[in-house]
Amino acid sequence: MENENSPLELAVLAGRILLSNGAEIFRVQETMERIAASYHMETFHVYAISNGIFACGTENGVAHTAEIRHVPLAPVHLGRVAAVNQLSREIAQGKHTVPEAFAQLRKIESLPFTANWFQVLASGVGSGCFCYLFGGSPFDCVVAFFSGLMVCLFVLLAGKKHLSKIMTNILASSIAAFCGLFLFRMGLGHNMDRIIIGSIIQLVPGVPLTNSIRDFFNGDYISGTIRLIDTLLIAACIAIGVGCVLKIASMMGIAVGVPV
Amino acid sequence: MISVFDALVQLVVAFFATVSFAVLFQVPKNQYLWSGITGSLGWLCYLLVNQGYGSVVIASFAATLILTALSRFFAVWRRTPITIFLICGIFPLVPGAGIYYTAYYFIVGDNAMAAAKGTETLKIAVAITLGIVLILSLPQKIFRLGLSKDRF
Repeated sequence: MENENSPLELAVLAGRILLSNGAEIFRVQETMERIAASYHMETFHVYAISNGIFACGTENGVAHTAEIRHVPLAPVHLGRVAAVNQLSREIAQGKHTVPEAFAQLRKIESLPFTANWFQVLASGVGSGCFCYLFGGSPFDCVVAFFSGLMVCLFVLLAGKKHLSKIMTNILASSIAAFCGLFLFRMGLGHNMDRIIIGSIIQLVPGVPLTNSIRDFFNGDYISGTIRLIDTLLIAACIAIGVGCVLKIASMMGIAVGVPV
Repeated sequence: MISVFDALVQLVVAFFATVSFAVLFQVPKNQYLWSGITGSLGWLCYLLVNQGYGSVVIASFAATLILTALSRFFAVWRRTPITIFLICGIFPLVPGAGIYYTAYYFIVGDNAMAAAKGTETLKIAVAITLGIVLILSLPQKIFRLGLSKDRF
């Protein structure tokens, strides 16, 4: 249990929330240093990588060390990142005592995710829209909408069952390819490739790619590398998932269409 | 050349595409509008440059410049981490289609096309990287644009 009066523990908790919800390393370290400075800690040092935080500092003449790891599989919640950012601004302005800030952080830590049905709907709409952007006809978009729903339902289910990230991505992209192929062969839609692209776009590693670039830019090469590997791995998983379904289909003599 | 009507439809669709990703990444509701605008303007830039130069790599680069600059401006103006706009806005540019076509040509045994598509996907990723890095290197004061100094 954390000591509710320790700015060090407060900074580490803030850092952990930021890191596990999709913030870049630079922001994690800067926010923690800002909090420590606001509560006048005599010394404070922090080193963060993409799956761990190491911090030590001196409070009232006594040296403390804290080390925390987080689970790298946590889904992204940018609302929490924004909330911690806002809180750290208020702390810097001297608006909160340490226990108050702790209470605020606990609230932020338990900010809920959007309701599942809304997430599923959003990914359906997203799949349909992306299908259109990549040159699909309106009919394709409707098909991509349903195929995107299936993918999101599977991802949510996989999260509940704690399926590994690699398997989740391979299976989810095979579902996207299967739905696209199946519905297309049923006579729905004009371009099978556009439908499949629309429904896999929600799996594409945009978050790790962006964060990896920003970590490299800030000189955090280790974290940048970890996230780059994450990006490449997810991209490979998507390619494997889609590829397997198309291969099996073509071996069964089903035409898999010619992309433009 | 695409017509004005087509461009408007693309803008609106890109807006909803970006907002649906904002929902998936739990962006606060009061930022949906702005992350959607970031994404749709980035996409419009991609379309226009792609039409003009016929190169998806240059188009991705130009679009990334625009949308990173917009993200930085919104981040200062809305007092929110830049991540919120950048991650959602970048999604239309991330080469999802490239991954698909690489896998597709690989499977059907067209290795030359698979290599070409794979290289193009990597080039787009590098173009996005360069675009983000260039804009992030600019000094912060450019993005205040007359906003008061206490915003950081």
